[in-house]
Amino acid sequence: MSTPAAYTCPYCRLPSDGSGTACPNCGAPTDVRARVTKSGWAEQPPIRDMARIRFNRSTCQISGTYVPVAEMKLDPEDSVYFSHHVLLHTEPTVRLEMMKMAGGWNRMLAGMPLLMMTARGPGHLAISADHPGETLAVPLPANHAVDVVEHRFLVATTNVGFQWERAGVWYVTQNGDEQEYHYPLGYTMDRFSASGGPGLLLLHGPGNTFIRDLQHGERILIQPSSLIWKDRSVRMFLHLEYPRGNYWFSSARWQAKSIWLVLQGPGRVAVQSVFERPETVGSIINTSGATTHYW
Amino acid sequence: MDRIECQWCKAQNEPERTSCTTCGAPLDKKNLVSDSGWTEAPRLRDMTEFRFSNSICQIEGEIVPVAELALAPGDSVFFEHHVMLWKEPGVPLSALNVPGGARRMIGGMPHIMSVAHGPGRVALSKDATGEVVVLPIHPSHEIDVREHAFLAGTHSLNYSFVRIKGLANVLHGGSGMYMDRFVTGGEQGLLLLHGYGNVFQKTLQPGEQILVEPGGFLYKDSSVTMNTVRQSFKTGMLGSHNMYLAEMTGPGRVGVQSMYVHHGSE
Repeated sequence: MSTPAAYTCPYCRLPSDGSGTACPNCGAPTDVRARVTKSGWAEQPPIRDMARIRFNRSTCQISGTYVPVAEMKLDPEDSVYFSHHVLLHTEPTVRLEMMKMAGGWNRMLAGMPLLMMTARGPGHLAISADHPGETLAVPLPANHAVDVVEHRFLVATTNVGFQWERAGVWYVTQNGDEQEYHYPLGYTMDRFSASGGPGLLLLHGPGNTFIRDLQHGERILIQPSSLIWKDRSVRMFLHLEYPRGNYWFSSARWQAKSIWLVLQGPGRVAVQSVFERPETVGSIINTSGATTHYW
Repeated sequence: MDRIECQWCKAQNEPERTSCTTCGAPLDKKNLVSDSGWTEAPRLRDMTEFRFSNSICQIEGEIVPVAELALAPGDSVFFEHHVMLWKEPGVPLSALNVPGGARRMIGGMPHIMSVAHGPGRVALSKDATGEVVVLPIHPSHEIDVREHAFLAGTHSLNYSFVRIKGLANVLHGGSGMYMDRFVTGGEQGLLLLHGYGNVFQKTLQPGEQILVEPGGFLYKDSSVTMNTVRQSFKTGMLGSHNMYLAEMTGPGRVGVQSMYVHHGSE
């Protein structure tokens, strides 16, 4: 009997036997050609309707294509955690509990979810991000960590540690006598790290998702709010660009400036095609650290 | 030659059909059913047509779909007046006699229901992203629908509304005070709903239960009982958090939508 050829998923980088039409680790289709732009961005293919992802002794099935639902079939030994408002339905056999979390006051100030819930098998439960977009599966090898922009987290296996840190990316604008602080990535970022074995992290990406590998020292400028997740090794800071302007009121110093987030390798980054432009009214008088260019 | 049974509404179709004549579901695609038994409502193809009585309904668009109805003489549909996108000038309109106007107003339900009579065309849109769910209702069948999810019903349906029992259910159930109830008489009726996001349906066996996010509830057979159950969680030495879920008990169908407003936690 012949064994199927080994297959390494170009998106999650994990090997599988390649016998199915979807990667069992991240759900990406295995029978489509990778779509990579000339500049090196790989389009993350949407997980097909009803595709299954395996984790530990459980499975996750993604259903729906517009506002997808992640339906978990949990083994009695397995559990997941999520923010309580994303729970769509559950069988009565699934045990729901509140997850202990530190730093509630800081999270409340930062506008992040205060309550996390754990669900333990046996049984089915379904999670929905409640917004149009794509479900992104990020399998985490043991001892690997990724940083995720706030409000992108959907669900994770309980062996994936969860903590949050200050994003450390901010700027201050002055408009007349008023000064305002801006946090284009949010005040904090979520950090997820797998311990004791591989873990699974599901995120929600509005719009389309693109990923790329940055080489050591390689830089790319992105809209700050388009970032979904990055490897810990990727550095980030602001870059301010001032186009040439003839008049004071239309000049770059006032409104026409561009505020970029610089991502510097090495490591993987993922961006989404839906974003919000950062606030640019007023002069920038202070930043968390930024490079500047005047054209 | 064998006829094709629609997997969604069970109607029989001519072998050459690619979509169901009764509900528009694609006949050349298998129903998508998750491991736990939730069936994904069929995504109707753009420009799909299906029939009711002597009239035709065509679904147009996929992001914010429009239901265009070509009404035959003697046929009519009723709908909330604000969902009408356009109509031919000659289509007569009337108001449906809906009892309990004051209660409906207090309950936040529309108290004007319009009726469009054939012959002529009228187009309805819920003005929101999602999908149109087509439910042919067999004679003597009853179905309950969350308020404001209803897009249109055909003349053979009787429309009423039922108060959701229990103060806890009203306050924490996320479905408001009332649910729309549609009952057929002797003739089959057709009900069009608008589901936000994707819509899934599960058939519960007698006594089988499922807990559903109240905001995600879309419709149920009237044989399914709905209760709001509180889940209490301790959040520290002094704190606790309550979350409310809708407990559905079979027998019958339950429909949920994947985009909703989360209700019922404190």
